[in-house]
Amino acid sequence: MSSTGEGAGRGSAPPLVVFEKVSKRFPGVLANDEVSLELRQGEVHALIGENGAGKSTLMRVLYGMYPSDGGSIFVRGQEVKIASPRDAIALGIGMVHQHFVLVDPFTVAENVILGDEDGRVLHEEDAEAKVAEIARAYRFQIDPHAVVEDLSVGEEQRVEILKALYRGVEILILDEPTAVLTPAETQDLFANLRELRQAGKTIVFISHKLDEVLEVADRITVLRRGRVVGETSPAATSKAKLAEMMVGRPVLFSLEKPEVEVGEPMLGLEDLRGGKLNGLSLEVRAGEIVGVAGVEGNGQRDLADAVMGLRPLDGGRVMLGDRDVAGLGTQGIRNEGVAFVPEDRHEQGLVLDMTLWENAVMGRHDDLEFSRWGGVLLISKIKELAHRLIGEYDVRTRSIEVTARTLSGGNQQKLILARELETDPGVLVAAQPTRGLDVGAIEFVWRQILDQKAAGRAVLLISAELDEIFALSDRIVTLYEGRITGEYPPDAPPEEVGRGMLGDVSAEGT
Amino acid sequence: MATTQTTRRQIPEWLESLVGQLGALLLALIIALAIGSVIIVLYDESPLDVYGAIVEYSFGSAEGFGYMLVAATPLIFSALATAVCFKGGMFNIGVEGQYIVAMAFAAAAALWFDFLPGPLLMWAAIVAAMIGGMAWASIPALLKVRTGAHEVVTTIMLNGVAASLVAWIIGGPLRYEETGGGYNVNLRTDPFADNAMIPDLGHLLGIRPSVKLTWLFPAAVLTAMVVWFIMRRMRLGYEARAVGSAPGSAQAGGISIGGVQIRLFLLSGLLAGLAGMQQLLGDQGFLPVGYEAGLGFIGIGVAFLGQNNPIGIIFAAMLWGVLARGETALQIETDVPREFVIILQGLLIMTVVITYQIAKRRLLTRQLRREAEVEQAPPPSEPTAGDEEVAA
Repeated sequence: MSSTGEGAGRGSAPPLVVFEKVSKRFPGVLANDEVSLELRQGEVHALIGENGAGKSTLMRVLYGMYPSDGGSIFVRGQEVKIASPRDAIALGIGMVHQHFVLVDPFTVAENVILGDEDGRVLHEEDAEAKVAEIARAYRFQIDPHAVVEDLSVGEEQRVEILKALYRGVEILILDEPTAVLTPAETQDLFANLRELRQAGKTIVFISHKLDEVLEVADRITVLRRGRVVGETSPAATSKAKLAEMMVGRPVLFSLEKPEVEVGEPMLGLEDLRGGKLNGLSLEVRAGEIVGVAGVEGNGQRDLADAVMGLRPLDGGRVMLGDRDVAGLGTQGIRNEGVAFVPEDRHEQGLVLDMTLWENAVMGRHDDLEFSRWGGVLLISKIKELAHRLIGEYDVRTRSIEVTARTLSGGNQQKLILARELETDPGVLVAAQPTRGLDVGAIEFVWRQILDQKAAGRAVLLISAELDEIFALSDRIVTLYEGRITGEYPPDAPPEEVGRGMLGDVSAEGT
Repeated sequence: MATTQTTRRQIPEWLESLVGQLGALLLALIIALAIGSVIIVLYDESPLDVYGAIVEYSFGSAEGFGYMLVAATPLIFSALATAVCFKGGMFNIGVEGQYIVAMAFAAAAALWFDFLPGPLLMWAAIVAAMIGGMAWASIPALLKVRTGAHEVVTTIMLNGVAASLVAWIIGGPLRYEETGGGYNVNLRTDPFADNAMIPDLGHLLGIRPSVKLTWLFPAAVLTAMVVWFIMRRMRLGYEARAVGSAPGSAQAGGISIGGVQIRLFLLSGLLAGLAGMQQLLGDQGFLPVGYEAGLGFIGIGVAFLGQNNPIGIIFAAMLWGVLARGETALQIETDVPREFVIILQGLLIMTVVITYQIAKRRLLTRQLRREAEVEQAPPPSEPTAGDEEVAA
């Protein structure tokens, strides 16, 4: 589905927004270095780059969240000083952030009008009617009366976009809008964006997901380390070219899977029940990567937690080899050789306020190697370990004494991988291992996971990214409502796997 | 592989953090004293005279210094008790009840085991106090881990229970037997034998024994150091900080959250149990009814002021001791009412909390910036030989 060239009404028209040598400096970092850029009316303009390339910063300057340190911004030919988001909205510029700011117990309509109410008395029915009208005009599927806490993430995002449209925004900035969406929700969003473009709105789409950018953008600007390194269009470029522009070197997208003889079953899940799990059975053998594909919220988190002993089960067994791990507890399961890369590295991976060396030993801190004499930590041994890990896994840091919070997402994930793989595990449970990472880091993580297979380990890969599932898995299973609904070879057509993700059990047995 | 660039390193992290914290403390002190000056001026007094008198009463004489340390001693223990729970993400508001119960335990030991020779009796009383504190702390700990009952609620409730329970104990099982000539209207226990008392330290420093500066003060300082070691260098402290800061990550790392919480509460109770010892075994030598001195609650303030750092707590408790001496100074030397000290204490806690937050945020910003520089500085690394193998 290529949308290139659909956005009509361009060409000679003067640009809507012009950035002229805009710079933004944070203490010690030049986030934007004389960036020049044009946004034209009625286009979807993708702004891509790795984490820290300055995409969000540039748009926050436009939205009045940061003052610029140099250069000028012109809107509709007039030079403007945008001192606050209020100024930006007055100029018809709106922004939807990665983290939504909605009041959960309020309805959609109440959230939309919040902060923009007329007069002292709320005319809720008028507001609801207006919200419904906007939603209809752009074919947004949303019920203005629905309470926000009952909405899915995709719907919440629609409410955020509606908020901007309600305020008469002409230029809509979306900061990594697909990071929180399922594939289906992403498609819905793109349909909405096309609708908005049709109506003449200008959309800035900040992303680092290249497939999506190629699918939805009219023009693409690539930033690297605060500078514009190129401007192109989907027709004139390719994923590989974009990635090279972003990273500054060629990037491999499909890694060769190592040929490994599949061995004994290492991890056996039998009829797991509890939480969202509803009779899930699965087996992972040595030297095999089993990819669990599924729309998020179908039990992925509970699956990983169940294997790691982090949640109680109502039924079923988790087997390591031929041993039932019931009652072992998380520490016991880890001691049996199971490593865990959690889907949320802040919530289940790292202690952000502890140092890198303290994080590096988490889970092994009571090994005799690292603590003695009734629990005295052997600090020098632990630091030795930390130095070795950050060296081997190329965690870029100034010191192992800094807190984990100070690392970028990619470096945090490398630290977790380093820690988890160091123990020479028999089984690796990797949940959403590349979430939020940029291209370079994704490549690194993928290589590490393939290395595990090459070393004869059993890998349970749980991911919402179909790309990732296809790139790494030897077998693909689909998870739907807490059960496995199908099993596919890695060369199965994606649509078929997609049907399994939606619970179509007839696809089973391929 | 260019990773830790030790060559380009400026000052070490811990030193930077220490300097930042001391700076924040100094700033907080200056602001609090400045605001306090306004109040002093309203009383037609000179701030310099008033602050001078407060300082004079703690540092102007050996006795004053001794009194200040005596006031600081129990606060070190109660603040440590608050801090260890806080590090594990829990609020132990029950230090008050725990040390009251501990005093009853210690009194019982001192009275019942009076056959023990020499310092053994004192040690028996101290150990009994620790057990008493732990026993009382184990109730909210078990309730929290088993039933999820929040420790703030249970510990506050148990404070009331403790006060009543101990009053009953003093009026019942431990009630004095010598009537002492009929003038003894207050309920209390019998006086302890002399060898139950903690020996005097003051006379070695030329301070009158009546000041009651005992070996408990150095013991408190030593205890703070031991607590520092436990929290920074031992498994329990490591696990406690992980649980307190990121319970999900700690759990996924194999740490038993409930187990850590129980052990922390027991440690907290043990420390709380020592808070009452200055009065009981250093000074009074018997336990009267209604002896709750609010040490547990003051300890919360001292822990805050010391930012839950055991070493910081030593100094915070001494500062509190200076202010306690200041009350006397104000009454004798100035027209400013003694309640001014309470205002000053409140101001200090507020300003310290604020300046520490600012200092912390600045430190984090600086570190984030430096890490970002390191990450951006080296050119993107070429795929290394090891990586090539997979692709090939």
